[in-house]
Amino acid sequence: MGEFLKSFIEVISLIAIPLMFLVFLGWGLMKKVKVYEVFVEGAKDGFNVAIRIIPYLVAMLAAIGMFRASGAMELLISIISPVTSLIGMPPETLPMALMRPLSGSGSLGIMTELMKVHGPDSLIGIMASTMYGSSETTFYVIAVYFGTVSIKNTRHAVPTGIIADVAGMLAAVWIVNLLFH
Amino acid sequence: MLNYIWIGLILIGLFVAVGNDITDEIRNPYRNGQPFEATLIVKKAPSGIRATWEGDIVATPEAFNAYYGASRTAEQISQPVSISTGADGAASLSMMITDASPAWWREMAKSGSSKDRLIGRVVLLVPAADQQTARVQVVFESIRFVKLRAVTQAALDYAGLAVNIALGLIGIMALWLGVMKVAEEAGLLQVLTRVLTPVTKRLFPEIPPDHPAVGAMIMNIAANMLGLSNAATPLGLKAMEELNKLNPKVGTATNAMVTFLAINTGGLIILPATAIAVRAAAGSANPGIIIGTSIVGAGCATIAGVTASKLLQRLPRYKKAMEA
Repeated sequence: MGEFLKSFIEVISLIAIPLMFLVFLGWGLMKKVKVYEVFVEGAKDGFNVAIRIIPYLVAMLAAIGMFRASGAMELLISIISPVTSLIGMPPETLPMALMRPLSGSGSLGIMTELMKVHGPDSLIGIMASTMYGSSETTFYVIAVYFGTVSIKNTRHAVPTGIIADVAGMLAAVWIVNLLFH
Repeated sequence: MLNYIWIGLILIGLFVAVGNDITDEIRNPYRNGQPFEATLIVKKAPSGIRATWEGDIVATPEAFNAYYGASRTAEQISQPVSISTGADGAASLSMMITDASPAWWREMAKSGSSKDRLIGRVVLLVPAADQQTARVQVVFESIRFVKLRAVTQAALDYAGLAVNIALGLIGIMALWLGVMKVAEEAGLLQVLTRVLTPVTKRLFPEIPPDHPAVGAMIMNIAANMLGLSNAATPLGLKAMEELNKLNPKVGTATNAMVTFLAINTGGLIILPATAIAVRAAAGSANPGIIIGTSIVGAGCATIAGVTASKLLQRLPRYKKAMEA
């Protein structure tokens, strides 16, 4: 059942984009939309959007890069690992939980490393990969999405994102311990 | 809040870097000023024309670890070096650092005067009777302020990375925005929007149910769930632009935007393809085993995020920010 579901989803992911092109453009043709002209008209914005997010992305990534390079992560881990151990989170996976909202490539590196050292089917390996799949790179999303529309006052977006991340990480620890411990 | 987190990341980064560098000054983990003893296997001895020794410097991992006072390597050290004697009789050593070099030396070379070499001062060089080997003692150049250098470098590197990411988005953004424009003109998004109105009406009460923003948000969420991140980002940015058209206060995030972002950062995905691929590459017996657990994790994150966005938007301080 699990295998079937997996291959089913894989097929969907494979055909989704070609299908979207077909349906969207085909539907446009049927409705007598001048597809080429309209496409070009829409595509014009691509450049502006990408350029507009640069300052937001530079600000966010430079700060995250400085934080990572300083060794502050190791310090933070040594401070909070006694607490997280109490809820059944192995200390090895703590860097994963802390890095996930900050950096996609950083957390990917940590996940790969943990699997190499502990094995992908160990509790740590399963928990790290579940954590990776349980959240998005929150700060990157905030920078890029708000950057597009030049939003500087993010109001409650950051606390909301952090609450979602914490909930995702706690749920990952809970479900993995429940099923694989 | 983003202000504080942002400046916090930078200040913590700087302070911790300085703190680590001061600790290094006291502990001296790079053994600044202390001679490292090794054997030189001579390949070219100095001749009448040139006053340079060339060869490999070798040491046992035990000697290496004992010198640095920690377990730094498990492999035999063997590094190509050249030793040249200057006019004043002082000999200096230059060691090529490659990927095969001990990790600790690679680390040191990064903060040294030359990125791909480790430079040192030879304090003792005693050739054996057969001229095939020599006993050497070398004091490597002092390595200082490793973390502070790293933090500076990271700020520059990541600024460049940010531009690369943004530029990399141009093509794919243009492609998807073009396709979306066609779907919009053809009325397809409106059809999609109407079907999901009961859900979107609750999630985004401020947005008229037939607004183009709703269509773009649905497309973005669908692409995210299928793990099509290449399509999801352009669609999400399009949704943000549409949402911004309804924004009464330019430059400030609306409730709908924050709720939309909460759904996005929750990262609900049916097939966590990246994690599965990494697991398969690491030799897992069952790489897909995390599909279920990831859905639970991301589901909880999404529910918590949406709930938090709905509750926090009522707080006076966030309400006030929205008033003109």
